[in-house]
Amino acid sequence: MNHQSTDINVSRRQFLKVSVTATGSFSLASFLPGCATFGGKALSEGGDWAANAWLEITSESNIIFTLDRVEMGQGTTTGLTTLLAEELGVEPETVTVIYAPVANDYRNPEYGLQMTGGSNSLSTSWGQIRLAGATAREMLVAAAAEVYEVPVEQCQANDGYVALADHSKKLSYGELAVLAASQSVPSNPRLKPAAEFRFIGKQNKRLDIAGKVNGRTVYGIDTDVEGMVYAVISRSPVIGGKVKQFDASKALASKGIVAVFEVYNGIAVLAEQYWQARKAQQTLEIEWDEGPLAELSSDDMFQSFKQAALADQGKIVRDEGDFDDAVEGAARVFEAEYHTPFLAHATLEPMNCVVEVRDNHAQVWAPTQAPDLARIAVARVTDLSPSDVDVTVTAIGGGFGRRLTQDFIEEAAAVATQAKRPVKLMWSREEDTQHDWYRPATYHKLKATFNDTGGVTGWDHQIVAPNLLDWYIRDAAPAQYPWAPKFMYGMLGSIGLAMQGVAVPKDETAIEGAVSVPYDIANLQVRHTHADIGVPVSFWRSVGHSQNAFYVESFIDELAHETMTDPFLFRQSLLQNQPRQRRVLELAAEQSGWSKSLPKGRFRGISVHKSFKSYAAQVVELSVDNGEINMHRVVCAIDCGIVVNPDIVKAQMESGIIFALTAALYGEISLKNGRVEQSNFDDYKLLRMNETPEIDVYIVDSNESPTGVGEPGVPPLAPAVANAIFAATGKRLRSLPLRLT
Amino acid sequence: MKIAVNGVEQVVEFEPDTPLLWVIRDELKLKGTKFGCGKGLCGACTVHLNGHAIRSCITPVSAVENQNITTIEGLGSDDTPHPLQASWVEFNVPQCGYCQSGQLMSASALLAQNANPTDADIDSAMSGNACRCGTYPRIKAAIHHTADNLKNS
Ligand code: FES
Ligand code: FES
Repeated sequence: MNHQSTDINVSRRQFLKVSVTATGSFSLASFLPGCATFGGKALSEGGDWAANAWLEITSESNIIFTLDRVEMGQGTTTGLTTLLAEELGVEPETVTVIYAPVANDYRNPEYGLQMTGGSNSLSTSWGQIRLAGATAREMLVAAAAEVYEVPVEQCQANDGYVALADHSKKLSYGELAVLAASQSVPSNPRLKPAAEFRFIGKQNKRLDIAGKVNGRTVYGIDTDVEGMVYAVISRSPVIGGKVKQFDASKALASKGIVAVFEVYNGIAVLAEQYWQARKAQQTLEIEWDEGPLAELSSDDMFQSFKQAALADQGKIVRDEGDFDDAVEGAARVFEAEYHTPFLAHATLEPMNCVVEVRDNHAQVWAPTQAPDLARIAVARVTDLSPSDVDVTVTAIGGGFGRRLTQDFIEEAAAVATQAKRPVKLMWSREEDTQHDWYRPATYHKLKATFNDTGGVTGWDHQIVAPNLLDWYIRDAAPAQYPWAPKFMYGMLGSIGLAMQGVAVPKDETAIEGAVSVPYDIANLQVRHTHADIGVPVSFWRSVGHSQNAFYVESFIDELAHETMTDPFLFRQSLLQNQPRQRRVLELAAEQSGWSKSLPKGRFRGISVHKSFKSYAAQVVELSVDNGEINMHRVVCAIDCGIVVNPDIVKAQMESGIIFALTAALYGEISLKNGRVEQSNFDDYKLLRMNETPEIDVYIVDSNESPTGVGEPGVPPLAPAVANAIFAATGKRLRSLPLRLT
Repeated sequence: MKIAVNGVEQVVEFEPDTPLLWVIRDELKLKGTKFGCGKGLCGACTVHLNGHAIRSCITPVSAVENQNITTIEGLGSDDTPHPLQASWVEFNVPQCGYCQSGQLMSASALLAQNANPTDADIDSAMSGNACRCGTYPRIKAAIHHTADNLKNS
C-alpha cells in the first residue's frame, strides 16, 4: 500500500518510519527495536506499517493518533494525546484518537506485551511520543519551506498550519501531508523546551468525556453482534472445583434456552435473552467435585502462613549491615505481626466478553487490559493459534488490574466454540466477586532493634506471600515467546522458561514497597517466604505496594511512638538521604497543619510511600465515635515528575484515595469451606459519597521525567488511617480492614 | 406490553418478571443504562420513572407498563445537553465513566425536586450510586455548580 517510505534510527532506541498512504495521508510509525524483537526476529518483518501507524495526517488535515494503551478512566488518552499535540502544535482536542488493534507493534516497551498496567504509560511514552510529534512537525515545516522556497527557519507550524513568518502565506497540514512524507526524516528533531509548552502542564480538559456523560461510550457489555446469544456459566462454588455430574433437564425446558453444556470450568447456559439464561441457570442441578480447597478457611490459611514463617526464613531480598549483630547489641527489640486479606477488584462493569468463532478465526470484543494475552487465552481453549485471533478492545468500566487476567475471555471462547454461534458471556456481580483473581492475602513479621538512646539500629521484615507471576505467567509466557508451540504453553511457567534458557521475568510483586523501605537504618534485612494456598491471585491497583506500604508505614509509626517521637519528625529524620520522599512528606505535613492542634476529638495520621517511580505522602484526619471511624480530610502530596495534565493528577489522587479507603475500612474477601463468603455490594462494600472525606491534593513542582499517577495514591492511605486511629484510641490495628469493634 | 421510553411508545415482548434494565438495553438497544449489581445496590441502572429515580435492575418490566421512562439517552440532546451534563464536562467528572449515566439520572431527579440542595441533600440522594473510580468529590461539586447556575439564570 505504501509507495514510498523512509526509515531511520532517530535515536539508539527508537525507529521511526514515515510513508504516504494510498489515500494521500502522511503516516508515521514508531517502534523500539530492542523490545519489539522476539526470538531474534523483528516483528515488523513483512508487516503492513500503514495499518499500524501511530500518527496519520490526512489530506483533510485530520490528525489521527493510534493509542496503544487502553483507557480505563486513568486518563491515559488525554495524557498521551497531549504530548503529541504539544509537539505537533495543535490543540489536543483536535486530535482523533483511535485505540490500537492487537498487533505486536503496539507492545508496551517495558513489558514486551501489549498491556496497560503498572502506571507506566506516561513514563514509557514521554520521549517516544514527543519525538514522533516533533519529527512530523519538522517534516511538515520542511515541506512548506520547499513550497515557499525559503529556509525552514522562516516557517512556523501552529494550529494545523505552517505559515511564513510574516503570515503572508499558510498551508494546512493536510495540504502538506504528501510532500512532508517525502522529506528526509530528521535525525535529531527539536523537542520543545518546557518554557514553550502550551499544553503540557496546562491542559486540564479530558478528551474522553463526551460519550461518558451522554451514555454513548461503548463498553464491553454494550457489544452486540448479529446472531448473538447470551451465556452465563455456573462455576464451582469451591475455588478450583470441577463438575462431577449435572442435570439440565429443567433448564432445557425453560423458555428461550438455546443450549446447556459443560465447559472446562462449569456449566454454560445459553439463551435468547439474558434474563432467560439467568432464570434457567437457577434450575441446574450440579454435583461438584470440590477439589483440594474444599476445607479451606481464611483462619486456617493465616495459621499456615504463620507456620510457613517459622519453618522457612525466606529468601533474603535486601541485606544491609548485619541484623543479627544489631539484635545482639540491642538495648531493646520490638516486634509485631501483621496480615491483610484477599481483595476483589470490583470493577463496576462486571466481567463480560463477546466472541465469534468462525472459519478458523476468532473475533473477540472485550474490555481487557492485555489484548495479547487475550489471544493466548482463546488459543488455549480452541484449535486456533494466537495469530488467528483478533481482539477489539472496548471501553473499559474500570480495570484496577482485574482485566490483566483473561479468564473471562477464555471462558467466552470455549462457550462460543461449542455453541457454534456468537456468544456474549456475562458475569453477575456475585460471580464477579466470588471468582475473581484476588489481591493476595499475606502475613508479615516485622522486628526492629533500638540502642540505649532510642535510635533504631536494625529492621527485619519477613514477608509471607505468593508470587503473582506464578499465576500470570501461564498467559504471559506464551505471549512473550510467540515462537513457542502451543503444546509448550503449560510448560512455559517460570521453570519451563528457565529450561529453555530464557531469562525469567523477575517477580517483585510480593516484595515491592517493602524491599525499598526508604529509612536510614544501618542493619536492614527484608525476607520473602513463599506461600501459595492455591487461590488465584493477580494484580490489584498498586499491587504489592498496596499492602506493603501498610506494613512498613504502620510499623515505622509504631517505632516513632515506641521512642516517644512525633511520627512526622521521626520519619523526616530517617529520610535525610531521600530528598523526594522527604519533600512530599514535608509538603503533606505542612498543608495539613501537622504542627497545629486540631479541634477536640480529631486526630491525624501520616505516611509516605514511593511506588511506580512517584512519591506520595498523605495525612488523614479522623474521629472515632463509639468504635465508628469517621473520615474528615485527606491531604495528599504527590511528586510525579513533570505534570502533563494537573487535573488528571488530582483526579487520580482522589480516585486512589477513595479506592484505598474502601479497602482500608471495608475490604475483605474471606473463605469458608473453600468458598468466598462475600457476594455483592451489600457484603463487599464500596465507599459512598456520604463517607468520602474532603481531599486536598498538592503537586510538587518538578523537572524530572513524568511518572505514574494511576496507582501511587493508593498505598499511603491505609497506614495513614491506621496511624490516625492509633493516635485517637491508642489501639494499633495490625490487620485490614481496620475495625475497632 | 407497552412502555414509553424517552417519549416514544414501545411495544415489547418480554416475560413480565424481566427487569426493565434488560428490556431497555437488549431490546430497545439503549446501552447507556448500565448493569452493576442487579440488586439495587450500586445505582448504575438508574432511570426515571415518571420523573423519579428508580433502579431498573430490580424493577420488573410489568411494573412500568404504560408509564414514562427516561434514560440517559433522553436526558439531554447534543445541542442542548442537560445542565448537569455540561457541568460534568466542566468538572472532568468521569473516569472510567461506567457509573456516570446512573449518577446523572440520580442527580437530575434530585435537582428536579430540590433546586437548591445542601451537601446533606446531595449525600442522601447520591449515596445509592457507587463509583469505583472515586469521582464523588467532583460529582458533588458539579451538582452544586449546576444548582448555582440555574439559580442565577
Ligand atoms: S445494577 Fe441496578 S442498582 Fe446496581
Ligand atoms: S467513573 Fe468509573 S465507576 Fe464511576
